[in-house]
Parts: sequence; C-alpha cells; structure tokens
Amino acid sequence: MQTARRDLSIYGAFIGMMPKVFMAYQVWFWVGLVLNIISMAILVYFWRAIYNDTGTISGLGLNQTLTYILLAFIFMPLTSIDVVWEIGSNLREGTIIHHLLRPINFQGMNYAQSLGILGMRLLLQLPMAVVAVLLFGLRFPADLSTWLAFLVSALLGFTVMFFFNWFLACLTFYTTEIWGLGVLIEGMSFFLSGSLVPLVMMPEWIRTIVLSIPFAQALAVPVSLLTGITPLTEAPRVWLVQVLWILGMWLASSLFFKVAVRKITVQGG
Amino acid sequence: MTVIQVKELTKVFKIPKKEPGLGGAVKGLFRPQYENKTAVDGINFKVEAGEIVGYIGVNGAGKSTTIKMLTGVLMPTSGSVRVLKRDPHRQRVENAREIGVVFGQRTQLWWDLALIESLNLIAKIYNVHPVKYRLALNKFTETLELGELLKTPVRNMSLGQKMRSELAAALIHEPRVVYLDEPTIGLDLIVKERIRDFIKAECIAKGMTVILTTHDLGDIEELCQRVIIIDDGRIIYDGPIETIKKKFGKFREITFETVEDVKALDLPEGAQMIPAEDHKVQIRFDRTISTASKVAGMVMNQIEVRDFSLSEPELSDIVRQIYNGALEREAR
Repeated sequence: MQTARRDLSIYGAFIGMMPKVFMAYQVWFWVGLVLNIISMAILVYFWRAIYNDTGTISGLGLNQTLTYILLAFIFMPLTSIDVVWEIGSNLREGTIIHHLLRPINFQGMNYAQSLGILGMRLLLQLPMAVVAVLLFGLRFPADLSTWLAFLVSALLGFTVMFFFNWFLACLTFYTTEIWGLGVLIEGMSFFLSGSLVPLVMMPEWIRTIVLSIPFAQALAVPVSLLTGITPLTEAPRVWLVQVLWILGMWLASSLFFKVAVRKITVQGG
Repeated sequence: MTVIQVKELTKVFKIPKKEPGLGGAVKGLFRPQYENKTAVDGINFKVEAGEIVGYIGVNGAGKSTTIKMLTGVLMPTSGSVRVLKRDPHRQRVENAREIGVVFGQRTQLWWDLALIESLNLIAKIYNVHPVKYRLALNKFTETLELGELLKTPVRNMSLGQKMRSELAAALIHEPRVVYLDEPTIGLDLIVKERIRDFIKAECIAKGMTVILTTHDLGDIEELCQRVIIIDDGRIIYDGPIETIKKKFGKFREITFETVEDVKALDLPEGAQMIPAEDHKVQIRFDRTISTASKVAGMVMNQIEVRDFSLSEPELSDIVRQIYNGALEREAR
C-alpha cells in the first residue's frame, strides 16, 4: 500500500510536469487556435454542402453528423500520442540512456507523461469548444450517464492508442529514423480514427478494416457513445472490446520493447 | 569492500556495412552486410569503495562503452559486471537507485523547465526524504552556486551552468556509485576548478565511489589516485598515477642554454635534438638506452653551455605518447 501510494505520486509528478513543458511555448497556442478555427469552419461547411440534397446519410441527419464531427474535433487529442517522437528523439540524442537509468518503469513514466499531455491538450481545446457552440451551434449532451460512458471509453481508447504507439515506437530502435513513421502515424490516425467521417457512413469493408486496427478505439468509439450514435446500452460491450484491445496491445508492446531495448547502441565514443 | 567488479568484459558491436552510391544502398536493403567491431575486449578490474578512478583513452578506445555496461544500459556480449553485487543489466531498476550519472554531452534535465522543477522531480523519482532533499538542495545551491539558476530553464543556460546543474541532478539522491563521463568537457578553467573541488568535497563527505572518464589530465591529477588506461578495447595500464610516470616515462628532456646557436651535435645512441628557440638546445633521450650524464657530458664536450635543466616527465606528455602509439597503430 505504502509503495503503491509512493509510485502513484512519482507517476503523478510526471503528469504534472507536462503542462509546464507545454506552456514553455506560448506563441504556439495562439497560432494553433487560429488554424483550428479555420479547419473547423471548413469541416462544417463541407458537411453542410453534402447534406444540401439529402435529409439523411446512413441514418444520420445533418445535425447528428455535425455534432459528431464537432465533438470528434474537440476530442481529437485522444488520438495524438507523442511516444514515437519522444522515444525517437531520445534515441537520436542519446538521452534515452538517462531515462533507462532511472529507477522507475520506463513505460509507466511515458504513460504518465502522455496523460499529462492529454489533459493539457484537452484544456487547450476549451476555446474550440466555445467556438463550436457559439459559431456552429454545437449542443453538448446533458445526460450524465452518457458523459460517464464516454469518459470511461475515452480513457480506455486513449490507453489502447498509447500501447499501439509504444509498439510502433519500438520500431525506431531498428530504423533510428522517426520523421517518416511519425508523419505516417499522424496521417493515418487523422483518417482512420473517424475524425472526418462517422464510422456508420463508411462502406462495410472499410469499416471492417478500420475496426480491426486500433485508431478508431480512441476517437470514433467514445465519440459515437457521446453523440448517441452508439446507444448507451451498448456501452459495456464497447468497454469490454477496448479492454481486450488494451491487453493485446500491452502484451505485444511490452514484449517488443524488451527485445528492442537490447538493440540500443547509443552512439558516442 | 569491492564496489565494482569487472571480469573478462567484452562488447562486440554489429555495424551494418554500407557500400557507397545508390547501388550500394539498394544492395544493403536486400542483403545487409555486417561488420563486427570489438569495442571492449576482455577487460578485468576491481574498484573498492571510496576510490576515485580515472578511466582514460583516446576517442573510440572503449571508454563510454565500458561505462554504459557498468550502468546497465548496454548488455555485455560476454563476461560479467557486478556493481554492489548486482548485475546492472538484469537488475536495472535496483541498480539505478544506487548510482548517479553525468554524461558531459547529454543532459538529464528537462530542457524547457526551470532547474528546480527537474530537481524536484528527480528527488521524487529517487524517493529522497523531503528533509534530506532540502538539506542537499541548500548545500548544492551554495557549493555549486545554483542560486539564480534554480529558476532558469535549462535551455537558457551556458555550458558551465548546465554542467553545474547536471552535477546537482546526478548527486541529489546521494548515490553510492557515480559515473562521470567527461564532466569538464568544453568548460573554462575557473568552472573546471570549481567542479573538481565540488567532486572532491562530495567524495570525501559521502564516501562515494567514482569512475571518471576525461580527456583533461588536470581532472585526473587533481581527483584520482588511480588511473586505468584503455586502448583499442584493452586495458594497457591500471595503477597509481606515480607508477604510470615510471612505466611510460621512458623519455626525458634536457635543455641547454648555449652561448652560440647550435645547428648539429654528436649525440649518444637513443638521444635526439628537438627544435628549440635561439640559444637553446633541447635534447630528448631514452632513459633505458642512455643516461643524463652521457648526454650532458657529450654535449658539453662540443659546445660552451651556460646553464642546463632536466625536466621531469609530465603526465600529459606520457599520455600523449600512449595516445600517439595508439593512433599510429590505427593508421597502419
């Protein structure tokens, strides 16, 4: 119990560290905000144009779709995890050595940091939530149990993505190249997490592919719960699937890391 | 008590061989060729508690590879390492609690954060008792003059300030074993002096065991009683600084002050003239072949000498000799 509390406070410290790192670059906040408002406007007008001729697509009306798209936009940080960049640049600069020399679990430390970053990014999305409500007429669901179901699913989905990214990050031990991999993951998660199109609108075969890779677990799945596209009664089944994903990805990534870390040949005489 | 024990330690790196040109790059994709490079080749040594050992050698001699194996981040190809009776690679986390590390070229601090934030987090990771942490922090603030730095982000620090911060970060949890990899690299004399004083004082106060790699022989002479010299992956010397001077100090130099300029001289075997300023003759001789009196006698027979002096070999000269030998071998 004592050690558990101590560990919790150690990893808690890492969570708390991230906002401070983030705020070191305040200018980015403003640049990002402007860019985000523009992209949100483009998305909204795009969908309005599509709905010009029809009332519903795959059973979703314009309002339902817009709600989904706007919420997905706001909760986008759930899909972006920095461990590939983090581990990649650590490897390149050789600072990974210091992390491995700390008497703590390296993966745990990174998970805590990722949670810290997530919290910070969600907080930074608050202005976008206000913009979505004021400019684009977003209405948040008022039902408390819907929010709870969403929060659980979001945390589980984020964890899936974390381990998935961890698995990919292990590749950098072999390639020592990160840029390509990083950009590929970002691009893929943009399309495959369901941030542009609700899953139900996708053709059957694409949906099958999307659901058999982990990206959608972090965004489309929880946001569908929040918008009611997935009924609340389905929530336990959704969580169970996510927990299975976590177990699988955790096992695979831990094993891979164990092997990959032996590859370390941090350069330098 | 033996703190570090190294037996037949060997590390072989597999390095991909790259052929030049696009053709070579494509070939490498399909059939990668590897080259084995032995960085550390069956070394043995023991370090007792409280020792400060200087670990020196040219670039690429295997210093850092050894240190990385001692810390546990690198797995030995064969042989064994024991630090405080543990295998540092297998028991990485337990080992990490007891050690402190400074790698002169890589920071362990959080780049964007004020130093104090990094130190707080490190104290937390190592579970340093808050009271002890306060005390250590106050002491380091004084001895390393951290005062203003505590609030400064690491990225805004000068090299010297960074290194002082690194030392504080490496020692705040009172490690029993400390690895310092080029802790004075690129620093000016005053900062170097301060850092050496600090390391010395900490070692005496806490009884830490230190392994120090450096290219700065001033560090070695000020801090270490014992030196290990590694060359081409093998230990070529392990012992006190005094004996190194005897063992490798084969050459001595005599400087004569003369009345006239001298161009050439008859000299005994093993001695040779080396360039010197006007009205001076400098002769270097091999102590095992000739003697000072032979050289001096022969010179004085040929020319008028005003004054002469015999110079003791300096550690830096000796090490230069060893390094030069290593470099020549590489060229061959």
